[in-house]
Amino acid sequence: MSPRPDSTANGRSRRIPVVAIVSAALLAFVAICALAQEIIAPKALEQDIYLGVVGGGVDGHLFGTDQLGRDILQLSLAGARSALAGPVVVAVGSMLIGFFLGTYAGYRGGIVDMLAGRYADLLLALPAVLLAIVVAGLVGRGYWVTVVVLIVLFSPSDVRLVRGAVIEQAPRPYIESARVLGIRPSRIMFRHIAPNIVPIVVANLLLNVAFALVALSSLSYLGLGVPPGAPDWGRQLADGRQLLGDNPLAAVVPGVLIILTATAVNLLGDWLSDLLDRRVVAR
Amino acid sequence: MTSDGSAAAGDGPMAAVDGSTAAMVAAPMLAVRDLRVASASGTIVAGLDLTVAPGETVAIVGESGSGKSMTVKALTGLLPEGVRATGRMELPGRAELAQGSSGLSGRAGLVEGRSGQAGRAAPTEEPAGPSEPTGRSRHAGSSGHVGSSGHVGSSGHVGSSGHVGSSGHAGSSGHAGPFGHAGPAGRSGREIDLAAQGTIWRDVRGSRIALLLQDPFTSLSPVHRCGEQIGWAISGRGRAERVARLLAEVGLPADVAEKYPFQLSGGMRQRVAIAAGLAADPDLLIADEPTTALDVTTQHEVLELIAGLQRERDMGLILITHDLRLARSRADRIMVMYAGRLVEEGPTALVMDAPAHPYTARLAACDPPITHRLPVLPTIPGSVPQPSSVGAECAFAARCAFAVDACRMAEPALAEVAEGHRAACLRPETAGLPVDVPPSPAETVPPPPAVAVPLPPAATVSSSPAETVPSSPAETVSPSPEHSGRGREAAASLFHAGEDQGIPASPLLSVEGLAKTFPGSAVPALDGVDLTIAAGETVAVVGESGSGKTTLARCVVGLERADTGRIDFHGTATGARRVQIVFQDPYSALNPGLTVGTSLAEALRAAGRPKSEVGELLELVGLPAAYARRRPRALSGGERQRVAIARALAPRADLLVCDESVSALDVSVQAQVLNLLADLRRRLGLTLLFITHDLAVARQIADRVYVMHHGRVVETGPVDSVLGAPAHEYTQRLLASIPAAD
Repeated sequence: MSPRPDSTANGRSRRIPVVAIVSAALLAFVAICALAQEIIAPKALEQDIYLGVVGGGVDGHLFGTDQLGRDILQLSLAGARSALAGPVVVAVGSMLIGFFLGTYAGYRGGIVDMLAGRYADLLLALPAVLLAIVVAGLVGRGYWVTVVVLIVLFSPSDVRLVRGAVIEQAPRPYIESARVLGIRPSRIMFRHIAPNIVPIVVANLLLNVAFALVALSSLSYLGLGVPPGAPDWGRQLADGRQLLGDNPLAAVVPGVLIILTATAVNLLGDWLSDLLDRRVVAR
Repeated sequence: MTSDGSAAAGDGPMAAVDGSTAAMVAAPMLAVRDLRVASASGTIVAGLDLTVAPGETVAIVGESGSGKSMTVKALTGLLPEGVRATGRMELPGRAELAQGSSGLSGRAGLVEGRSGQAGRAAPTEEPAGPSEPTGRSRHAGSSGHVGSSGHVGSSGHVGSSGHVGSSGHAGSSGHAGPFGHAGPAGRSGREIDLAAQGTIWRDVRGSRIALLLQDPFTSLSPVHRCGEQIGWAISGRGRAERVARLLAEVGLPADVAEKYPFQLSGGMRQRVAIAAGLAADPDLLIADEPTTALDVTTQHEVLELIAGLQRERDMGLILITHDLRLARSRADRIMVMYAGRLVEEGPTALVMDAPAHPYTARLAACDPPITHRLPVLPTIPGSVPQPSSVGAECAFAARCAFAVDACRMAEPALAEVAEGHRAACLRPETAGLPVDVPPSPAETVPPPPAVAVPLPPAATVSSSPAETVPSSPAETVSPSPEHSGRGREAAASLFHAGEDQGIPASPLLSVEGLAKTFPGSAVPALDGVDLTIAAGETVAVVGESGSGKTTLARCVVGLERADTGRIDFHGTATGARRVQIVFQDPYSALNPGLTVGTSLAEALRAAGRPKSEVGELLELVGLPAAYARRRPRALSGGERQRVAIARALAPRADLLVCDESVSALDVSVQAQVLNLLADLRRRLGLTLLFITHDLAVARQIADRVYVMHHGRVVETGPVDSVLGAPAHEYTQRLLASIPAAD
């Protein structure tokens, strides 16, 4: 976008967004861990069954080890990959469904809208964990199976959100003018309406990353996500349960990481949607 | 005057003695000195003095960006975050003034108003307080003086009411400092620092100053019953009776108390808002565009109501408005603001009839007359500057035909030109002079390209009506680049001739028996509407909200489908080339994410025209071609509306529907856009269907007019005869409701 001198005149946006910077830094760190897992945590899966469980600080293990003698620090850093990849795919995937279906339903109305609405109602009525267990039973367990299940489960709220935003835009004069000018509906939907609902889409996307992280971790905790032994915070939490006496850090570290990451994503999402909102709304 | 007056009021008994009738002389109940408002991006109001006497109506008039709304917010402590005010405000209030004066007229009126009696109060006040069972006398100091009961609860001193009552003994008069009694805690004497924030305003708002806002649809809480909302400012017992009395005072039935705002019409809601404002017996009512959102007939009723209440209660009234005609009909004094500055103030008659600032004169001239059509509406070139961008110069100099070098050297101070009449102009004598060169209709906002730029070849631009309606009268299509108004007169007379036979000779559009009822609505929006428009003609549809005029327009352009009836286009054009529309709100008319050029190029492409015509389109509406690179937010309201018009012209449709297209614009900009439309019509042979609630606008632009009421056309004919000699009762009522222009 071209520079707009008047947009800086908005008095309240001048402060340095400390919260957003801290959140972004934390997420960047998690992302680096996820991408460069082999470099940052090369010994994540190295077992030392003779050592077994030790507490924090023993034998060069800052946070101790789990029952297989794996270093909790390295294992937790390695867990960043499943903590980020799955939730991002879930959020993007469900938003893609939500965006296209929601835009189409909101703009076109009628039968499409009705079907989209029933689809959302149906999915929202299903208990999430039960569905995940049933699918895992039918298809087999696996991280990506769970991810797909979550995409489907997350999509109805995105459909509704986008649909609502589109319905709000549709009666505006600039959209009606475009209709009267004979501009193709697909162009109106994706060229005119879509850019103006970006703030709400981005905000919800990030919110969903946080939700999906917690949901995936919960399912891993229940044994529905990653296979046993794989580095994953939810899995670590489950495994660490039995070690609370010997090395509580085995459960605390991944738990704190889940909380911190989810919170950072949320805060960044808030900040970003505020920023975009101001851009779009600013007259 | 300001400082003298307020000082007198503060110091005591002298001021109001001889000023019972002449508002100008009476001691002010509100005196604001050197109000300045600024935000991080610069000045918003640059120094304003303001006084209001009991019973006086002061109108603050200005266009958008003049700072009038921020003035209101500063006086009520409601400035948005990041905006700060400085200055002092004195609020002696009626009761304290009455203490100082010998005749207690102010209080008498007040008491009468409160007890809701019809007759005027006795000139000498009996000990009114004790006789009032609910004991709602006003400020403790004055209560003491006149010997009324001591209960001060209702005057809205939240939390401090109970113990103040003890001061209400007769005989404590002659003692300076009634405020000390009235407000021991929150209110720091009678003077308020406008920079103050927080709880001090709680003592001011409600009991001292009430605020009436423009939009009764959003100023009331949708989830609370009306009675509850009115009662919010009333503390203590007897709330229900008091609410009932207030409802009666504003002319609403008692059962409104049990209703929710959405169950009421706009006018009724505004009455509820007025009742809520009066609940704590304010000394001063600030009405910020109180009737702008209302229909003209409702406007009249609401204004009458406010005037009546003001008389009964001897309340001061500050009327904020953009409407000079309204100010003229209601105000004792007018203050004209421009770019955050007070440019002229004085008694209404002087300001309106002998303006001493060219801006006032030009603004008044821009207001279209209802009684006759002007060939070309006067306009003010350019637009209102940002208050912060005005340096040491007259803010109006850039748009002033009479500006001399001295005007650009320093900001002129307010100087008295007559008794109580002051203007900030170095050459006040020029204000009454006619501007030599009538501004060209196509004049641009940053001046002239369009005037100098050769018009797009008339043959190409006007081809579509000529081709598609071969029988359309040649005169109306022929371009007349001079702004003589000749073409329009020719067209007008021609269609008036056609009108004599009932239907124009060659209709471009005919609507027959159109009816539509929206789902869930009991009343039809359209109830059998017939309408014809000939090629080259301008037809106005006028009516109030709910008349169905907008539904009609939306049916014509295909945004709405009628239940029954026919809409026939008689041209050969199809799709977007048949009809285009320009909406009311310039701010949402354009996609905020796209540049002007992109929006126009898209419209051109959809119509199968080359993108290269973007510059041509912009020049057609009087904007420089370079505007193509701008985004909507970098444009003023008037400029945006020009772009919206350009976009609607892109497909070269036969018919252009304007749905209240100038209603959201400032008067001077409205005149520019109306002139532009008239000019386009002349040059391109456009056919216009003009939807408006404003009869004066219809008078200026239309050949024929349809008056709609409750989904039906109640009267139709040439604009001069319908508005000049209305036959239908409803049309007569509409015309009668317009504030008199004297």
